[in-house]
Amino acid sequence: MRTVRADAPQQGPPSPRAAPEDPWVTAAPLVRAAQAGDAMALNDLLSLLTPYVSRLCRPIALGNSADAVQEALIAVFQGLPRLKDPRALYAWVRTITVREAVRVARRTERETPVCEFADVAWPCSPELAVDVRDVLRRLSTEHRAVLVLRELEGLDERTASGILNISCGTLKSRLHRARHSFRKAWAR
Amino acid sequence: MNLNWPTAELDPVRRLRVMAAGLNAVMYADAHVDLPMTDLWAVASDLEGELPHLVPTLREFRCRPLGGDRQLGWAYGLLGHSARFDVQLRPGWCLMQSSCVVGGMAAVPEGSGTRFAVLGGLRQPWSAPLQRALRPLGRARGLLMVDRAARRAVIRAGGRPA
Repeated sequence: MRTVRADAPQQGPPSPRAAPEDPWVTAAPLVRAAQAGDAMALNDLLSLLTPYVSRLCRPIALGNSADAVQEALIAVFQGLPRLKDPRALYAWVRTITVREAVRVARRTERETPVCEFADVAWPCSPELAVDVRDVLRRLSTEHRAVLVLRELEGLDERTASGILNISCGTLKSRLHRARHSFRKAWAR
Repeated sequence: MNLNWPTAELDPVRRLRVMAAGLNAVMYADAHVDLPMTDLWAVASDLEGELPHLVPTLREFRCRPLGGDRQLGWAYGLLGHSARFDVQLRPGWCLMQSSCVVGGMAAVPEGSGTRFAVLGGLRQPWSAPLQRALRPLGRARGLLMVDRAARRAVIRAGGRPA
């Protein structure tokens, strides 16, 4: 078996809004090699995907984002042999990640009603980060997820509702309530 | 609301866990070892000196640096067979593969000790169902390898294994 090396982007895509295709075109040969059992390619693909998956998980799973990142990546890699078109990787990873992050956050909410944040590292703008995480703590998992998909990822309502397995109407009302709750908490 | 969210990288043990899932590896185990990571990783990273002690079917392992964290390894088995390995080795992380098999080790500090993980499996995609079926056995073998690494670390530090 031949080993495919990534010359490689160690970071995920800078922003899905800016240039969603290029990083994933780079990933295509890695996907094919990983599907053929190349561990080094799988390892490089893991380096490529982890920052993006982490960026999605953190605002949803908050203090449990490390678990959410791990669970999401396990789900992604276990499903990788079934991914027929590597160009679909971006949307596919996003869908799996958001669902896993919501699942981990809900599970944690059942176990511990109040999230713990002491172990979360927020390297940029500490004051703003404190404010934002305080506001996010007041929102439900469902509201955090819908805000991530619409405001961070910039998805349309139909795509976002598909990822969350809810109707467009439910998404609209949930988004309205999430934005209202966010603004209300932010203004305090 | 786009605040350039900071990202949290996977630590090496979580990373190896993800790799094991993606590779359908027959052997994966991690366990807490009551030794400092520096002692344990001194064993794990000494591939030529220690790998034959950790893998019972291995008679000898030779490696040559390729630059960066990459090495080229040659494994010689007890029955005379040999295999070329691509190796990635850095602190807390080792991944290697030949044309047929893949192996890995990872370590992170955990309390006063270390969480140490090992991985082993076949590369061929057709072997996935077989590897999944044998995972309970693989986990037991993995835990034995963790134990062997801990014993070697104690011996290297001049002590006697428990």
